[in-house]
Amino acid sequence: MRLSPNCELLLQEFREKRQELLQLDNHVFELINQKLGQQGIELNSIEHRIKTEQSLAGKLERKGEKYHQLSDITDLVGMRIVTFYTDDVDKVAAIVTQLFDVDWNNSVDKRKLHELTSFGYNSLHYICRLREGSIPFEIQIRTALQHTWSAIEHDIGYKGAVKLPPQYRRQFSRLAGMLELADDEFSRLRTTMTEYRRQIQALVKSGNLSDVTLSTDSFRSYLELRPFDRLNQRIAAVNQAELFPASLMPFLPILEHFGMESLGEVQAMVDELSDAAYKLALSQLAVTDLDILSETVGLQNLCVVYILKHGGSHDDVKFIYDKLYGANDSNAFLADAIIHQYTAIGQ
Amino acid sequence: MYFEGRLDTAASAQTEVEMKPLYDCTGHDIILDCTQLEYISSSGLRLFLGLLKMAKPKGSHVYIRGINEDLRQVFAMTGFINLFEFK
Repeated sequence: MRLSPNCELLLQEFREKRQELLQLDNHVFELINQKLGQQGIELNSIEHRIKTEQSLAGKLERKGEKYHQLSDITDLVGMRIVTFYTDDVDKVAAIVTQLFDVDWNNSVDKRKLHELTSFGYNSLHYICRLREGSIPFEIQIRTALQHTWSAIEHDIGYKGAVKLPPQYRRQFSRLAGMLELADDEFSRLRTTMTEYRRQIQALVKSGNLSDVTLSTDSFRSYLELRPFDRLNQRIAAVNQAELFPASLMPFLPILEHFGMESLGEVQAMVDELSDAAYKLALSQLAVTDLDILSETVGLQNLCVVYILKHGGSHDDVKFIYDKLYGANDSNAFLADAIIHQYTAIGQ
Repeated sequence: MYFEGRLDTAASAQTEVEMKPLYDCTGHDIILDCTQLEYISSSGLRLFLGLLKMAKPKGSHVYIRGINEDLRQVFAMTGFINLFEFK
């Protein structure tokens, strides 16, 4: 590799400033990572690096005459932020603008560069500096789909020296267009789902539980009301037990299996069967000194009481345990024992 | 790790010391062999739960092996059975 004397000087300066560049790279990453975390933006990935000497040398060899000083090379420090959603590209871009001085003359929104009839590489490239002054650095922001497209395009495009015929380039454009549509649809879907969740939460909070269809989202919102706390606390009081936090979401398929279609039906089970569930738990725990219980204890006993009250069989009880603990022959033994207890308390 | 006899309050202190090295396991399968275990009290359950709490974020799996039906009933009755994986 042969470099001009000026390029040799630039390469030497790069070697001397390597430590400074590394510090800048880490500082920029920490600033942006912290801010993104505060804003609750979930990312597909975030990568940062300083240019390798080999890569810089290659760049200087190709277009060294463009660069008079090291700060003319704007990607010595670079970061790539890959979001899940296209809306988040703009959010991240706004955060970058807030945190750093953006050199608008050299920054590119490639999304806006395309002619109306073409599709292709879409990405934001911002050239930035620290507010307190620094050498420039580059931040690329794109969605996961844009990232995939660009990675494949890079892989295929750089593999051969032969210029691709128009039909293959057209195929590329069609794929890019499809991914752009998919990106928009994912964003739209997220907005729709967020709106649906808000509606469900509002219904749950207003207490109109009968109007709320039982689903993953609605059950999760319902659990935020802590509907089983009272029963759990009564059960825990038997042995002055500590309640250990646990997810109640695994009970959803059981409630659905019972044929429950609305949160109103779940609440009716709580209202009508909590006493029986308490007695069932009491009969098991009172003869032990167990003073630590999982928060699932109330709902688990409610489910057993519910199914037995509705004429459920030994197999139906075993089904509850199979769903909760995984299918296992020993669950038949647990079902036997609990039915025995249920009969003993005269329910 | 093998357990035998009674894992009650009296045995818990010493067992906790012996279980300590398991807390540092990263990305391992931790097997608690309870084939010879006859009794477990709340103190024993707390030890198992404590291990689970430490091990899960480090990518380890805690398995309980060979537990008898009576002890399995204790895990079911307290609601802890679905927190562990049984072999």
